[in-house]
Amino acid sequence: MMIPLRYNLRSLAVRKTTTFATAFGIALVVFVLASALMLSAGVRKTMRTSGHPDVAIVMRKGSDNELSSTVESASINVIAAAPGAKASTPDLPSSSPELVIVAAIEKLGASGVTNVQLRGVPEHGMRFRPEMRIIAGRAPAPGQDEVMIGARLRGRFRGLDLGQSFEIRKNRQARVVGVFEAGGTSHDSEVWMDLDLLRTSFSRQGYVSSVRVRLSSPAAFDAFRAAIEGEKRFGFMALREAEFYEKQSEGTSIFISAIGSIVSVFFAIGAMIGAMITMYGAVANRQREIGTLRAIGFSRRAILLSFLLESTSLALIGGAVGVAGAMAMGFVKISMMNFQSWSEMVFTFDPTPQVILTAFTFAASMGLLGGFLPAIRAARTSPVEAMRGG
Amino acid sequence: MTAAETKAETKAESKAEAAEVLISVRGVVKTYERGGETLRVLDGLDLDVKKGAFEALMGPSGSGKSTLLNLIAGLDRPTAGTITVGGKRIDELGESALAKWRGDTIGFVFQSFNLLPVLTALENVTLPLLLTRVAAKEREARATTALRIVGLEDRLHHYPRQLSGGQEQRVAIARAIVNDPALIVADEPTGDLDRKSAEDVLSLLERLNKQLGKTIVMVTHDPAAAERASIVRRLDKGQLQ
Repeated sequence: MMIPLRYNLRSLAVRKTTTFATAFGIALVVFVLASALMLSAGVRKTMRTSGHPDVAIVMRKGSDNELSSTVESASINVIAAAPGAKASTPDLPSSSPELVIVAAIEKLGASGVTNVQLRGVPEHGMRFRPEMRIIAGRAPAPGQDEVMIGARLRGRFRGLDLGQSFEIRKNRQARVVGVFEAGGTSHDSEVWMDLDLLRTSFSRQGYVSSVRVRLSSPAAFDAFRAAIEGEKRFGFMALREAEFYEKQSEGTSIFISAIGSIVSVFFAIGAMIGAMITMYGAVANRQREIGTLRAIGFSRRAILLSFLLESTSLALIGGAVGVAGAMAMGFVKISMMNFQSWSEMVFTFDPTPQVILTAFTFAASMGLLGGFLPAIRAARTSPVEAMRGG
Repeated sequence: MTAAETKAETKAESKAEAAEVLISVRGVVKTYERGGETLRVLDGLDLDVKKGAFEALMGPSGSGKSTLLNLIAGLDRPTAGTITVGGKRIDELGESALAKWRGDTIGFVFQSFNLLPVLTALENVTLPLLLTRVAAKEREARATTALRIVGLEDRLHHYPRQLSGGQEQRVAIARAIVNDPALIVADEPTGDLDRKSAEDVLSLLERLNKQLGKTIVMVTHDPAAAERASIVRRLDKGQLQ
């Protein structure tokens, strides 16, 4: 039978200062880890939700993003008519040839410039993505130097707000006439404009970066892909849009997770030492209590488990504070470089159940490891010596 | 009465007498290593304690009385010799078997009460019952009864810091009897108490012995405490005098 947990919890409550200091140290570590994992999950979520299961994206074979891909305009209609592609209707166009370029724009509140992704879309580009909606202003008019911006860019860059102007490229000003929302996808961090405006501004006539094609069903992808990639004279590849965005998020997501995990592991060593010192103190201060429990008949294993439970409880208290702090980061939007597109994107922290479970497991592990040696010392305590010294 | 009948009767008498012995200590030696020197605290000691006895062990500091009590209670092991309690050789038991035996057989009363400060009186008294298969509700009922026996039924939910020294020791006695142990060992039970509280605690121990038939072995320096015992034994230099 185990020593009741309330004995450990109340003992923690008695030693308020050391309990608070140790839990705070663990909370900081868990906060760093949980924040990094939540951001990584946020990146993956943003990119994953950007893709539709029934949409395929066609790019130049060998290119790993739209920036490095070129598709000749002459191929667009052939791609749009490939087997598996859905027939166009006026309400829901079946394809969208798009040009993607990055522009260096001054970031507000920070020195220097940063890349922002510009996307040139055909007139029906918004209708191709029914989830998109304009939340302020209007859509840019074709033939005008007008753009609309994703909601997450608003107010973060010089000239990128409704009614303001910025340079698409040197001496080519464009005015922001609308702000759109794309359901938290990566498009929310893009500047959209007429395809021809972007082509002429960067002398890319005759080319687009990619062609998105709506399929008759998600299952039609294999036939579509076979048709596109089987045509050797094109040299194109077809990917499911969801798969494409998943790959786009991989580098950034892994980078954030790795940095967060490395920093957390180093911090964790400090926090574990803190927990160990606290638990050694607890064992030393409670010699008489340990001796009494042993005398009454509790086994060494019961004492070991009791002190391990105490250190784990302490770590979980810290973990809960750390996770709560990281969850509060859900209200924060963070702007960072996407290493695939080399452009700035805005992400949110996504507190998935898996991240929360990982954070608590990490906290519990710190408690278990930090408390292990002190618990062994407690279990080895001789009842006679304990009561003599205590 | 024939010689054979007389022999048979004597044998039966000595068997009955032997059956009454609860604690049997034979040739017990206990040595400690201190600063490279071997201290012989108990030196080939023999002792029998009968079931239902209330015995006091007295002697000067360092005479080995607490060491003997710890050996009888299975808290420590002899360097040589045998200790049998309730027919069981406890010097042969392994660590966890000894812990279980203590939980089943011994009730402890310490000089400094040794209550867990973060648990209430009721929770402290319940502790030994956690080592049994008794259900939670029954544990609470038994602990409440034990506290009623020591006259503290109105202090069930008080923490040790909210009790006087005498009350703390009575809670400790309740903890010692809650498991209905065969033997209660008390190490200076009145050492930290004022005269009045000491009298109350001794009266309680006396009552446990006389009314509930508990066997009690008590170490004490206090002659007034020893007077309450039915047998007083004196130890000096590791030997019973």
